[in-house]
Amino acid sequence: MKRTIPLAIVLTMGITMMVQFFVPHPVSVGYYDLTTRWIRIVGAFALVLGTGSFIMFHSDKVRRRRQGWYYSIISLVALVVTTVIGLGWGIRPGSILQNVIYANFLVPLNASMFAILAFYMASAAYRAFRARTKEAALLLIAAFIVMLGMVPIGASIWGKLPELAEWVLSVPNMAAKRAIIFGVALGGIATSLKVILGIERGWLGGGKQ
Amino acid sequence: MKFFDALQRIDRRIIYIVMGLLVIFPLVKPLGLGVSSGPRARTLFDAVDSIPAGRTLLISVDFDPSSMPELYPMLAALMRHAFARDVKVLLCGLWVTGAGLADKAVTEIPPEYGKKYGDDVVYLGWKAGIDAVILGMGENIKNVFPTDYYGHPLDSLRMMNEVVRLRDIPMAVAISAGTPGYTDWLNFAQSRYGLRLGAGVTAVSAADAYPYLQTGQLTGLLAGMKGGAEYEVLVQKKDYSRAYMPAVAAMDSQSLAHVVIMLLVIVGNIAYFATRKRGA
Repeated sequence: MKRTIPLAIVLTMGITMMVQFFVPHPVSVGYYDLTTRWIRIVGAFALVLGTGSFIMFHSDKVRRRRQGWYYSIISLVALVVTTVIGLGWGIRPGSILQNVIYANFLVPLNASMFAILAFYMASAAYRAFRARTKEAALLLIAAFIVMLGMVPIGASIWGKLPELAEWVLSVPNMAAKRAIIFGVALGGIATSLKVILGIERGWLGGGKQ
Repeated sequence: MKFFDALQRIDRRIIYIVMGLLVIFPLVKPLGLGVSSGPRARTLFDAVDSIPAGRTLLISVDFDPSSMPELYPMLAALMRHAFARDVKVLLCGLWVTGAGLADKAVTEIPPEYGKKYGDDVVYLGWKAGIDAVILGMGENIKNVFPTDYYGHPLDSLRMMNEVVRLRDIPMAVAISAGTPGYTDWLNFAQSRYGLRLGAGVTAVSAADAYPYLQTGQLTGLLAGMKGGAEYEVLVQKKDYSRAYMPAVAAMDSQSLAHVVIMLLVIVGNIAYFATRKRGA
């Protein structure tokens, strides 16, 4: 039963939602509206699941004193403090959560994390970006053209550089991207059909029947 | 040859210092390289410029503070453009950590143009569900967001009487730092409800958006800080705004950062090939 009921739900919902997309009848539209509401409600439960998983993962890490366990303590303390402040003093603009936790902690920490990427990228590019093969050399040249073409200094060096960068992005890049998108889309359709028809059952997880 | 060996082993802290200095220097003393607007930014600008006064532009704030320096200037420039033309602005977001950033824009920008919250601008906030939220907005925005970000019922906001569902909105721009983002708006709002969509993305993800530009699914693209700077320039050229242009100001720094990375790659390769030849 633990497997049959979820499989039946997936089969029914998968087929009805596919059919619904092509039927503009009011009943079909009403069904679609109801389903999207249900998805939002189920989606909210995923947040509870995520929080539970977060607590279990970090608690386990602290208990077993795994590498970097002290960072897990900070994560758990941050979760508790944010939750208590949010529940106790509200989440609206002007609240402690918004003015202190968000504006004075999350914003600068998040921005700093992203800002230091420039330094790591510079160091990594210096050490790892080598034209060892013809393909790597081609990649290097394309990267140089786009990097220079996308900033004002590129046009100062050579007026045609922005156009050349645009060509790299619009022609070879787009051809490759399109091939990837088609591949991913076809793979997604195949996997979805396998899930709907019950061939792919990995999502059910392990456990007894 | 010791020189090339030494080059191969430059301490990363030296690279960090050089990078830091070259990023800070143009912020203190601008180089004035100037920004010219590309075709992608111009297409988006023209599309927003063609929205009739009194109609609504939807902006989805799909980024968090980590991408704020790159994407927030786009949000500010788009809002200024809309308000200068008496176009109303409806904001929402697919990233929970970005909710406060849209609030900042709603607090700071409308007063510059004497625009009133509820009449000219509304911020819906964030809701869990991503695709279901977009699909729900296609049917009825009030079903998904009974209240706005500030807790006002949508029925009490005059602007929302004219905007019931996505089909009532002539254009949307998704400013995205990743997933969820403009691809979700493409898949569900553009394809299902025919919503005209533009996008603003981080520079690293700009290449992914090009196929959607060629198919016409995306109307214009702002790519990275350069895209934001191009839009700021276009807005000022038409005299829609005289505000400070943060993306334009940062372009000199970005130019030098790119040049530094390229020089490092070139030096690294010279050292690599010189030492390899000797080894062979």
